[in-house]
Amino acid sequence: MEKKNDKLFIIIAGLIIGIIAAGLAFLGNPKNMGFCIACFLRDTAGALGLHKAPPVQYIRPEIIGIVIGAFVAAFAKKEFGSKGGSAPMTRFVLGFFAMVGCLMFLGCPFRMILRLAGGDLNAVLGLVGFVIGIFCGIFFLKNGYSLKRTYSLTAGEGYWMPILEVVIFVLLIARPAFIAFSEEGPGSMHAAVILSLAAGLIVGVLAQRTRLCMVGGMRDLVLFKETRLLWGFIAILVAALVTNLVLGGFKLGFTEQPIAHTDGLWNCLGMLLVGFACVLLGGCPLRQLVMSGEGNADSAVTVLGLMVGAAFCHNFGLASSGEGPTPAGKIAVIIGIVVVALIGVVNTYVKASAAEEAA
Amino acid sequence: MCYNVDMNTYIATFFMHFGSIRFERLCKSKGLEARTMPVPRSLSSSCGTCVKYRAEEPLFDPAHDEMEQMVICNDDGSYTQIYKAKNL
Repeated sequence: MEKKNDKLFIIIAGLIIGIIAAGLAFLGNPKNMGFCIACFLRDTAGALGLHKAPPVQYIRPEIIGIVIGAFVAAFAKKEFGSKGGSAPMTRFVLGFFAMVGCLMFLGCPFRMILRLAGGDLNAVLGLVGFVIGIFCGIFFLKNGYSLKRTYSLTAGEGYWMPILEVVIFVLLIARPAFIAFSEEGPGSMHAAVILSLAAGLIVGVLAQRTRLCMVGGMRDLVLFKETRLLWGFIAILVAALVTNLVLGGFKLGFTEQPIAHTDGLWNCLGMLLVGFACVLLGGCPLRQLVMSGEGNADSAVTVLGLMVGAAFCHNFGLASSGEGPTPAGKIAVIIGIVVVALIGVVNTYVKASAAEEAA
Repeated sequence: MCYNVDMNTYIATFFMHFGSIRFERLCKSKGLEARTMPVPRSLSSSCGTCVKYRAEEPLFDPAHDEMEQMVICNDDGSYTQIYKAKNL
């Protein structure tokens, strides 16, 4: 009974999120980018001056909304709690390289769904890489991978991320001179602040209530043959697809897709890195944002890793553009896959053998 | 000595996935019916894994401290917590 309700709830939540996400693109956000956690964290990092790429600087209210929405939902249900202490620096590095992969592909797993729903066939190759990456991560999970337990932390610890988002919101509204907003390019395209914020809040609440996670769906299917989270993924895809068809935002093909490139191999490898890193983190970038709103300091550190990763990508020319990936970006993705694999090995085998010696 | 043959359903949640796998193996080595699965949403907002098993008495693994909490599943669908990790 409870299980059926659970599934129904996540399907409804997914449908609502899909409609909102596709709708935002018609209200001013870039095409197929109603939501993109990676792009939006990158834009926010740019607005704060962490990178100097003029086309991608804007404080995205969706991010603020998701964190605050998750915070409010968790708080109301007494699920908020300051927790952390599970390998924070490892999570920072995983977040960093997850972003490198996202900006190779040009989108987080959430935007990958929205690109699929917009008819962007390049995202199919991204999906293939994403699934391969998830399998790589699952290999380590099955063999003993662990970043060790989380602990209850000092009462204030979990509030930092929600507070940070409020401060960033004030900067968005006040817009002091040191905050940079794009005048052209993707960063200049955005829905009205109030609409973006409302959309973020709704998605934050729904994602907190359902534990929606783009990586979790595939992972649970493979590990437990459990489809609950995957239904959320599918519901978003279907709702966004229908919304795009109705509003005329669907264009099938590989070429001339909005904020996308056609290099199939690197679309695939970029998302492979994302899937791999996110399984080892235990959740996709959206899920990390939501958990940071629930008071999870490890997820907050991961979000910081994502933001720093985004800043590096644009400062060092690692991020792809519509023209395709950059040579430096390709090197960074390869380094990322190697580093993530090493993190997997170290936290699976090295620790296991040490424990055996102790025993 | 307890002669109660009524079987209870327990759910043990773990901090990391491998803790569940190891616990499931322990259950099965004792002949208990056990299954690793995602933690039910109503039990926790975290997205870890858990082991649901049937036994007369709750089972603990003294060799490992990966368990987050253990609950007994009541007939009405609610849970009663019987163990919680320290500093959680």
